[in-house]
Amino acid sequence: MIYSVRHATRVTYSAPVVRAQFNLRLVPSIWKGQTIRKQHLGFKPVPDLREDYYGPYCVNRTHITFGGSLSQFEFLSEFEVEIEALADPGEGPAIAEVGAEALEQRDLSPLSPAPYLFASRIAGTDEEIDRWASDHLPLDAGIARSASVLMGAIHRDFTYKPGSTDSATSPSEAFSRREGVCQDFAHVMIIALRSHGIPAAYASGYLRTLPPPGKPKLVGADAMHAWVNVWCGKELGWIGFDPTNNCLARLDHIQIGMGRDYADVAPIDGTFIGSAPQDMKTAVDVIEV
Amino acid sequence: MEQGLSPDGPGHGSDLFGPDPGSDPLAYYTPPDSEADIFTGAAPEIARQWRSFASGLAGQCNCDLASMQTYLDRHVEDLGLAFRHTGDEQERAWPLNPMPVIIGSAEWQNIGQGLVQRAELLEAVIADLYGPQRLVSEGHLPAAVVSGSAHFGRRLVGMKPPGGHFLHVYAVDLARGPKGEWRVLADRVRLPTGIGYALENRLALGRSTGGLLASIGTRRQAGFFEALRQGIAVNCERADPRMALFTPGRFNQSYPEQALLARHLGIALVEGRDLTVREGKLFARTIAGLKRIDALWRWMGTRDIDPLNFDSRSQIGVPNLIDAAGKGLVIANWPGVGVVESRAMPAFLPRLARSILGEPLQLPNAATWWCGGAKERAFVRDNFENLVISSAFRQPVTGLADGHSRPGSSFSNEERAELERGMSMRPMDYTAQEVVSLSTTPALADGRFEPRGFTLRAFLARNENGEWVLLQGGFARVSETGDLRTSLMGYGDISSDLCIIDPEVSGPQPAQPRLEPPQVRREQGLLPSQAADNLYWLGRYGERAHQTVRIIRTLVEQVAVAGEGTGGITAVTRLANLLRSLGAAPKESTKWQPTRLAATALSDTNQPGSVRALGEQASAIALRLRDRLTRDSWRAIQRTMPRYTPGDLESMTGACDRLVERFAALSKLLSEGLSRGPSWSFLEMGICLERGSMILQSARIMVPGSASAEDLSALLDLVDGQSLYRSRYVSMPYIAPVFDMVLLDPAQPRGFAYQLVQIEEHLNGLPVLRDDGLPETPVRLVRQLRARVEGLDAADIDSEAIDMLGQQLSRLSDAISRRYFLQEDAPLSKGKATLLG
Repeated sequence: MIYSVRHATRVTYSAPVVRAQFNLRLVPSIWKGQTIRKQHLGFKPVPDLREDYYGPYCVNRTHITFGGSLSQFEFLSEFEVEIEALADPGEGPAIAEVGAEALEQRDLSPLSPAPYLFASRIAGTDEEIDRWASDHLPLDAGIARSASVLMGAIHRDFTYKPGSTDSATSPSEAFSRREGVCQDFAHVMIIALRSHGIPAAYASGYLRTLPPPGKPKLVGADAMHAWVNVWCGKELGWIGFDPTNNCLARLDHIQIGMGRDYADVAPIDGTFIGSAPQDMKTAVDVIEV
Repeated sequence: MEQGLSPDGPGHGSDLFGPDPGSDPLAYYTPPDSEADIFTGAAPEIARQWRSFASGLAGQCNCDLASMQTYLDRHVEDLGLAFRHTGDEQERAWPLNPMPVIIGSAEWQNIGQGLVQRAELLEAVIADLYGPQRLVSEGHLPAAVVSGSAHFGRRLVGMKPPGGHFLHVYAVDLARGPKGEWRVLADRVRLPTGIGYALENRLALGRSTGGLLASIGTRRQAGFFEALRQGIAVNCERADPRMALFTPGRFNQSYPEQALLARHLGIALVEGRDLTVREGKLFARTIAGLKRIDALWRWMGTRDIDPLNFDSRSQIGVPNLIDAAGKGLVIANWPGVGVVESRAMPAFLPRLARSILGEPLQLPNAATWWCGGAKERAFVRDNFENLVISSAFRQPVTGLADGHSRPGSSFSNEERAELERGMSMRPMDYTAQEVVSLSTTPALADGRFEPRGFTLRAFLARNENGEWVLLQGGFARVSETGDLRTSLMGYGDISSDLCIIDPEVSGPQPAQPRLEPPQVRREQGLLPSQAADNLYWLGRYGERAHQTVRIIRTLVEQVAVAGEGTGGITAVTRLANLLRSLGAAPKESTKWQPTRLAATALSDTNQPGSVRALGEQASAIALRLRDRLTRDSWRAIQRTMPRYTPGDLESMTGACDRLVERFAALSKLLSEGLSRGPSWSFLEMGICLERGSMILQSARIMVPGSASAEDLSALLDLVDGQSLYRSRYVSMPYIAPVFDMVLLDPAQPRGFAYQLVQIEEHLNGLPVLRDDGLPETPVRLVRQLRARVEGLDAADIDSEAIDMLGQQLSRLSDAISRRYFLQEDAPLSKGKATLLG
């Protein structure tokens, strides 16, 4: 499957800001099953400084600096990606086994399980999520199967409601209201898995805009999307679970990056001087080539 | 203070009836286990010095040891020693015990060797984790022990600190066991909290006990901080580097300590908003423009130091600081070093010592088991009752909801079941430690020596050769019961000085480290714009409070003198209007009795312009200037309002008199405590500007229309000009001569024109940013204002003329703010992302 991805955003400030610096995380990082071609990220106006980094998680970061004052800027990210469907994971090894195996890995790299075992800033610990999830995650059950059950439970119990939460809403709050968007569902699922000793990561990326013939349109296809990567033992490695659409991330999901939570892969963050309210318009198109 | 207190040998003070408690107050000291007490278990020549010190203390206070504590407390207060517990609104006085913990230099040197070895080991571990990570890939250290620490900064992997040292300062908590053996309880590499208190404890104790410390052969602490400074400086690119202490700000628990250290080292205390990174270099925003900073002593958590590289929500960090660090900025200690502070790490250090250093640890830490390993987990389960159970990374975890350690024996069955449930799911979150029993030390309590458990905190720093040097001292935490493992001081803990002694006092003194004299300096490094801003506003608030008291005093005096007379009423009414317009009294006070209004203007904190409210503002600003103010000024600012009886004219006048004296003394103290450079200029400009503004406001309200002699006389009172006027005119006050004195005469130090002369002089002495030789805006504005005043005729001055002067004066103040302070750069907003669906 080959997709052409186009992501255009325009940021407008009501009053010019100065010394604006941003981190953009839009350049797809290497991921199994994905081959990237014709990748390009452009800006208007052209920033005075641009630096590209990989890391510290599984993510590419583009750091840009505007020297003068700025009242509007645009970026356009385009690339083609070929996706190879991964095999069905089946039941997977027992959760207890996965936990033990994760602790045995002699690896700290962005792809290793260790960085994703612990509570992070946004995906912290939450006793209620922990309790709610424990029915779905018996330690002797297969990891892939249990993760699917948990994903299904979120899909069933939560209401998808755009605008009900924003990037400042905590997962605990979304959990208690049982509503939110992809980001909230992903965080709740990550917290649940980690509380059971399972390495779980936040994946950010895109969905195909139009569904395959005869299937409904995927939820979250008009913007960036988020789902959960679960480390299913050394053999299976990372597998993507999308609680928003109750499906595995296989042929319809294009991954940009993976981190402990949203903050590690946020598409844009930064600092500037000036306190202007701002407007951000985004258009995302993911077309099958 | 020398009193010749040292006893002259064994048997001193004893007579037929046994030892005299006055000369040997430790004679009846009986700890529960004498070997497990640092005094009773000490070698004879050391124990002799304990007794000597104790009897010296007793001698000094005529055997009333309880009074010694009071005496010492006063010294602590004088030093301005304070701290906060997390969540405290107000600072607390630092609790210091008069009896130090005494250790012989030979024993201390042994401990020191073990600590240096440990510092080297930690440095090697950190260098590996931020470099090749071989310890992980070769299986010496589990990856989860690293990634579990909130202080592991993945962003920093692959970066090397300039000069190669991750650690420059190392603090470590030690416990003495029942057999006199020492153990490491905790490593502190993020924040050497307590290092400033160690310094100040010694100062307080030295001041209050005269020559006692020297008489027992106490080693001096000198040299340590100079070594620390040089150790950092040597790694900087520039030969004469500029250093600053990087603080999270005044709400931080250890802010008082940070201010004290900055002052002691003579380096600037800077917050994130004082700093900016430009093209990979770090600069401080100062009144003389951007000044490059070569090194930071970091007192802020890694997560907060750089919103572009770590937590994007941080409001106290500096964007791109990490990039500057990659290009030569020295940060001590390097960000991310806290990864070795987790409770899990000590479980691996004994083995890491062998594999990295090829030798065993000289100084053991408390035996520790990390439950992430299956064998260790089983051991902990089997020995649960005899271990202390901890959260491996100090986070709240199932079964340890507050993240604090607990003895296994203290768990109920249900609690233990809950803990085991957590451990079965997330074993890596738990560690267990052997129970360390603490030695006791004689501590003064209620005038007697009592055995108390204690721990020590020792401090090490690298010198210019990169070698570790140990502070010849430290501080002891003494606790009645309680857990002594919290960060600094638990509730109810007290501190003691740690004295390292050379018992042979008469013998040759050990060679002191050779000291290079510091470079001669006249200003405290640099003046950050923010500090200049604070000094300016300290001057303004102090002066406004001062002038407000004068107005209140004049009002009270007018009431007392004039009683119900009509002329008096006019002046009183106008003074009341003035106080209302200054925000010292509420709008609805027009019908109030003048004395009620005066009392409100003095003490009602709901009125933003009341004397008390202004005083509180001034002291809040002073808090941010802690590193720049002398102790005397500091104390003067903290003084409370004098008492008075509301309604009693005499008592109110008395209170006003005392306040006027106090504010006058304060501005003198403040002014004298600052060297005659920019800091002083900003304080003085604040005072002059406020004084000028108050004169204009008073003149505006007191004089319009037909001013009576009382009105004019009241105005003269406000500027302290009564006697001068009478000597000049020998007549009752008339409008024109009074205006001439109050507004136009540049020789009248409380007059308006004089303030402008002063401001211009100060502005002329400040650094210039322009290189075209033209005057900067504030200078231009003050010259215009002076010219206008010079061109005025006293007979023509009306309300409009005064208003015009007032407007020009506030433009001048704005121009000073814009030019020297942070105005344009101040608020840092973050881009908020809402790209998600």
